Amino acid sequence: MKLSTVQADALQELGNIGAAHAATSLSVMLGSTIEMSVPAINMIDLSQLGTIMGEESAAMVVFEIQGEIAHGGYILFYITQESAVRLTNTILGMKEINRPLSEMDQSALLEVGNIMVSAFLDATAELLGIVILPSPPALTIDMAHAAMQSLIAQMQEETNEVLLFATELVCKEYKIDSDIILMPERSTLLRIIELLENMMKSS
Amino acid sequence: MPDSQPYNDQTTMIGIGEYRVGSFPMMTIGLGSCLGLTLFDPNLNLGAMVHIMLPESAGRKDRPGKYADTAVPLLVNELTDLGCKNRAVIAKIIGGAAMFEYFGTNLNIGERNAEKVRILLKEYHIQLVAEDVGGKFGRSVTFLPSNGGKVTVRRADGTSTDL
Repeated sequence: MKLSTVQADALQELGNIGAAHAATSLSVMLGSTIEMSVPAINMIDLSQLGTIMGEESAAMVVFEIQGEIAHGGYILFYITQESAVRLTNTILGMKEINRPLSEMDQSALLEVGNIMVSAFLDATAELLGIVILPSPPALTIDMAHAAMQSLIAQMQEETNEVLLFATELVCKEYKIDSDIILMPERSTLLRIIELLENMMKSS
Repeated sequence: MPDSQPYNDQTTMIGIGEYRVGSFPMMTIGLGSCLGLTLFDPNLNLGAMVHIMLPESAGRKDRPGKYADTAVPLLVNELTDLGCKNRAVIAKIIGGAAMFEYFGTNLNIGERNAEKVRILLKEYHIQLVAEDVGGKFGRSVTFLPSNGGKVTVRRADGTSTDL
């Protein structure tokens, strides 16, 4: 499936708005500035997933997209293990960098992921004029590829390619590098594009 | 020594749904619920490896390596064509984890992948000599047919074991 330039631009704008809200909520939690990348839209063949997501150990807080679009795909908060420690250190007021992620870190990560993803989805849903809700979160701290691959395997619509829609959020002050990644089902993607196109026509 | 440096230019990476047959080093990374299957003929020092994603193809033919029910016959046929005998071939399976506690526990794709491959190997009279499957963690695998079919499994915590 190929996206036209107009469709890609519209999606990028949607991602911008979502990510900006997520960035603001992260900024409030950390009390620091967050820089946000331009959302990258990658239509990727399954066999090439390893070129984007590797063996590196990362914390991922994953939500299924629910609401008006049932089983709409997945949205996740992705953060490398080193950044995850720095993030929870900052929030929980700790110093030690070389440590495994404790249970307290994990609940902090779940909470941060929850707040950011909710902010992202609220903003995009409002723009699209539909109800989009996140499922309860699931956390994994392991190989990024293994987690992503497991999500793709359980998508509703069998597919050979997925759209990964990633926005990088960076906090330079605390050296925290994270991503919000949206991976919609094909039908969800088509629905979102349709809503965006209708919006552009009517404006 | 190719086996002292498994991650080099000669190593062929096998992505989701892909497979390779030969005697060169092969590698697949980040198996979650996916299943890595290696087949090895010690008489010919030939092997095959596939990265399976789902148990059933439901009639799909475009990517035989992606599904257990099409991948096993495919690999067996390829090895047979190269002169391997099923009774000499040994199989190992890796992966089939359940990475998320909350999602898809009712689906348990990982376990179904492993079970489907076990059944098919039995049908083809291929010995399953080792497995490292299940759990809640990812695995990467290197397979060295030229070095006695050596299979090494790595986890995210850096631990590495020979299978």
